[in-house]
Amino acid sequence: MGIYPTSLENLIEQFTRLPGIGQKSATRMALFVLRSNKELAEGMAKSLIEVKEKIRFCSICFNLTDDECCSICRDESRADGTICVVEGPGDQLALEESGTFKGRYHVLHGVLSPLDGIGPEDLKVGALLSRIDREGVREVILATNPTTEGETTASFLANLLSQKNKDLKITRIALGVPMGGDLKYMDRMTLEHALRSRILICS
Amino acid sequence: MNTHISPAIIMRIKEFGESDLLITFFTSDRGRLKGVAKGARRSKRRFANCLDLFCLTSLEYELKRKGDLHFLHSGKLIDAFPGLRSDFSSLSLASYMVELTEILFPLGVADNKMFELLKNSFFAIDKGKKKDLLRIQFEARAMALGGYGIDFDKCCSCGRTYTGEGRAVFKRSKGGIACLKCQQESKLSPGLDHDTVKGLKTIQSSLWSEVEALNFSDEMIREIKSVLKLHVEYRIGRRLKSAEYLD
Repeated sequence: MGIYPTSLENLIEQFTRLPGIGQKSATRMALFVLRSNKELAEGMAKSLIEVKEKIRFCSICFNLTDDECCSICRDESRADGTICVVEGPGDQLALEESGTFKGRYHVLHGVLSPLDGIGPEDLKVGALLSRIDREGVREVILATNPTTEGETTASFLANLLSQKNKDLKITRIALGVPMGGDLKYMDRMTLEHALRSRILICS
Repeated sequence: MNTHISPAIIMRIKEFGESDLLITFFTSDRGRLKGVAKGARRSKRRFANCLDLFCLTSLEYELKRKGDLHFLHSGKLIDAFPGLRSDFSSLSLASYMVELTEILFPLGVADNKMFELLKNSFFAIDKGKKKDLLRIQFEARAMALGGYGIDFDKCCSCGRTYTGEGRAVFKRSKGGIACLKCQQESKLSPGLDHDTVKGLKTIQSSLWSEVEALNFSDEMIREIKSVLKLHVEYRIGRRLKSAEYLD
């Protein structure tokens, strides 16, 4: 039996099930909920149920939405013909915040990871292939993260897409020195990429 | 403060809290270890690109007095094995090697030969060496280093010494070979040519540099592959997750 009343112990236990939340943080959060007014608890409970009941994948790009299609897929002002492929909804949001890309997205919901038993059939690859023909796509931008698994996923998709459509332009987001970075602290591989992908300023 | 620096292969990465990473790494002197890299997802200096999956990194970590978790101070990338990221089959093979190492070597069990085997296998994948051959070279040597080497010296049923002539049959329940008088060839007891037995025996007991120089025909690779598949699955007790993506 714990030192707190059963209902409070239950709440602490529920919080510890969240990623990155340990016993101490969970206790702090539970005590905060206890001290707060009833509206906070009711609002949280309502939002938790709502998110589970309403949120689903967009039927076109697999982004998170509470409708049949997400706001980006519904937006007619966006450019058709270019699809940016990302690992997850968080990556799509980051790209949207940059405000540079005005095309369409495709969310894979993961990367290839044999160590965790994730293969091509576990990602939204089939749906991407069918979009290429259906939407008359001319360019696919592979924007998976530059990690071992992200790079492998990009290579895998590049092969698959080029086999499917020889005329399709397949591009990869640039890799190199980040803004505000310091060359002294860069690793060999990043510098190699940065030098290989250098751009001409004037000739 | 008891800090230690050693080359390590990054085996697994898990996001931990706001900006930390939980890292499983394999070292030559202390075996497989787990550690927390505080602020690694934000830090561009202490862990510059060195905590990526399967990278060879020089890690500076603090040895814990109790518990399993070490504290990672910093790291410097030695090799990222770019060839490993070039296609799915390379990543699958590297994942299989790591998964097998994890099973054969529990936390804290050190074996310098195993570290060298994993490192050299990654270098070989990176260089684009034949994957079927690399797989059998790794499996046979790793199983032997983990204490599950196949006995090629005598028939595991009648005890007769194997002279290195004629075919032999692999018997998975005994982890050894049997003569044709004691065991007939079947799907679960595949036969091996005398050259295959010799080759497999050499892989099990030799250093990487010696094995690299050996020549294996496609037929030998096929025979060894079926024997090792049975042997690994029988000794481990299940099929490895990553094995699904190898064939």
